[in-house]
Amino acid sequence: MAAPVNSVGKTSADRLQVNCTSFQKKTRSKLISIPGTRPSVQNGQLLVSTGVTSLDYLLGGGLAVGTVLLIEEDRFDSYSRMILKYFLAEGVVCRHELFVATAQDNPDEILQELPAPILDDVAVPKPVEQPRLTGEPQDSLDAMKIAWRYQNLPKVQSALASSSRFGHYYDVSKTMEVEIRQAAKCHRFYLPDHITPSSAAHRVESYSALLKSLQEVIHREGFDLATPMSKTRNILRVGLHSLGSALWGDDLCCHDKPRHSHALTTFLYGLRALLRSSLSVAVVTLPSHLIQDRALMGNITRLCDNAIALESFKGSERETNPLYKDYHGLLYVRQVPHLNCLARQLPDHKDLAFKLKRKQFTIERLHLPPDLSETVSRVSRGEPVVVASACGSSASGTKNLDF
Amino acid sequence: MLSELLQGIESGGFLIIRDSCRYSGRDLLKSFITAALNREEVIHILCFDVSEEELKDGLKPSDTQRLHIHNAYSDPLGWTGHPNFTVQQFSLEDLTNLVKQTSQPKPAVLVIDSLSWILRHKTPPAVCQTLQQLRKGGAVRAVIGLLHTDMHQRGTVGSVCHLATSLISVAPGVKGKEAVARVTKRTKSGKVMQDEGIFCIAEDFTVTILSKPSHAEHKTNSTEEEQTDPTANLTFNLRLSDSELEAKQKLTLPFVFSKEKKTALLHPGPGSGRILYEPDAYDDYDQEDPDDDLDV
Repeated sequence: MAAPVNSVGKTSADRLQVNCTSFQKKTRSKLISIPGTRPSVQNGQLLVSTGVTSLDYLLGGGLAVGTVLLIEEDRFDSYSRMILKYFLAEGVVCRHELFVATAQDNPDEILQELPAPILDDVAVPKPVEQPRLTGEPQDSLDAMKIAWRYQNLPKVQSALASSSRFGHYYDVSKTMEVEIRQAAKCHRFYLPDHITPSSAAHRVESYSALLKSLQEVIHREGFDLATPMSKTRNILRVGLHSLGSALWGDDLCCHDKPRHSHALTTFLYGLRALLRSSLSVAVVTLPSHLIQDRALMGNITRLCDNAIALESFKGSERETNPLYKDYHGLLYVRQVPHLNCLARQLPDHKDLAFKLKRKQFTIERLHLPPDLSETVSRVSRGEPVVVASACGSSASGTKNLDF
Repeated sequence: MLSELLQGIESGGFLIIRDSCRYSGRDLLKSFITAALNREEVIHILCFDVSEEELKDGLKPSDTQRLHIHNAYSDPLGWTGHPNFTVQQFSLEDLTNLVKQTSQPKPAVLVIDSLSWILRHKTPPAVCQTLQQLRKGGAVRAVIGLLHTDMHQRGTVGSVCHLATSLISVAPGVKGKEAVARVTKRTKSGKVMQDEGIFCIAEDFTVTILSKPSHAEHKTNSTEEEQTDPTANLTFNLRLSDSELEAKQKLTLPFVFSKEKKTALLHPGPGSGRILYEPDAYDDYDQEDPDDDLDV
């Protein structure tokens, strides 16, 4: 289970006894407060901010320490990379340690692109400007003759916000200054440095190398829960970019029936076990639009605790749809965990859309107007699913090659 | 955007031309080769799909010293004892050696005639890793590849195209020699630009870009649906005539406040304990004190 707040202060002897029974004596132990974390109001878990305050709200206040957040990438990997950068930037600002693993670009490239924090005061953005009815002068109060008391209220309540925000805001147009970035300790894992690719690999070795490296960092830097409480504790933020893509040596995204279908799932199982026994939190991005096997995608989602999916409008026919003109894409919450409790805290609104503004990544409820026209044409929900054919590896392309 | 790509690919770029059996992308590939030769660049071509003569057909003969064609068509799998270039040699070290052999000062552009051939004989992850290393290393300046999308599974095509910085998908056009190209370009900063255009290739492999395709027609058809009027087709009358509309506007509502009172209520200032009294039409507001005539 994820690290609850009061077990951080216990010695290892006490914790061994606790594992035999589920009874936990409530001791008034000194609560070690780690900067950048806070206990959850719902179930007492230790939470960290993801860097995006609306995403924190969707996940129930923040990301619980010891859990994994899976982000299914959008088609061009622009917004998922942005969320990963927000996560790492939040770690730098809260003085946590970072661990970045990539196979495509050097981790230093991602670290150099981190957005600059807006550090003037406790981050309180300007209140949401009331959307006025368009084309109406400001001082004319005849807009609503009868219900004029409601004139200044917004038409729809679309912004997601909780009463207590924790987390910082970032300016996307500027990159983080070098001094701030270098003050944070960062561990890197760049796959070509560790593995020489061989084409006749019987096992995918990249994942085990990554897991070993992460375990070694956790043990050496003292993030294990089992180490004695000699020094101040800190959180390790793990960012894994584009796991499962072909550059990791995995054919999950390439074939309809991958040969090494268990490599990634075994890795995620091991990752979660490692995180549960240490003070770390992980964000994993995955190019799920390339994975054709839906059952495998379901397995991967279940093996991670939190899962969201991003769908960007760029390049699809939804880009010109007038319903979506204010937003950059849709966001789906696939899974929210229930840690040490019976019920999940799912967001009440299922249609969510996101927009990347300069100073904020906002996630809002998508309000579709009622469709009064006679020909009710619903917006098509994504591409049609390609059914995998039974005979061999067929090419699913145009119909001209069917025999 | 197609013309910008023809004028030059940025260093470290990877361009993929996706075609299908309906329209072959080889002519467009040869236009890219011609344009690069005109810019005095050194080009190495790995020729798997067609023979060397067929590939050289149409290219100007004077540029042959900057153009190096490696014939992998005659013996790609090394069945004879002495193959020229086999598919197993598609790896970082072998390709780097191959490109360095010509000993030119500038790094070369590598053109792969088709990636589909390599993908049939090597695993897609290995091919992707080699392509990524070629881009990152300094041996070649840019890579251009031709990919036949109907020869592979969707995941394979998607994985290889995920690595590309520029992607051109070609399809046959409406009239004779025209074709439609959909171009997607990703910049280093993460911006994605998309464009679509009709082009036509001449005999000497110069590309003329014609107008944009008329997708606007489809869009206007769908948005021209008439807004249905809910007040039509009813057994009672919901519409207002002009005189009725005038009378409605003139009607004074019972709780009409003046403008100052409305602003005061909408934007409450400090000390909002003011009493604003406005006499109604029926109120008998007499300034004189009516209790004056009481004898108390």
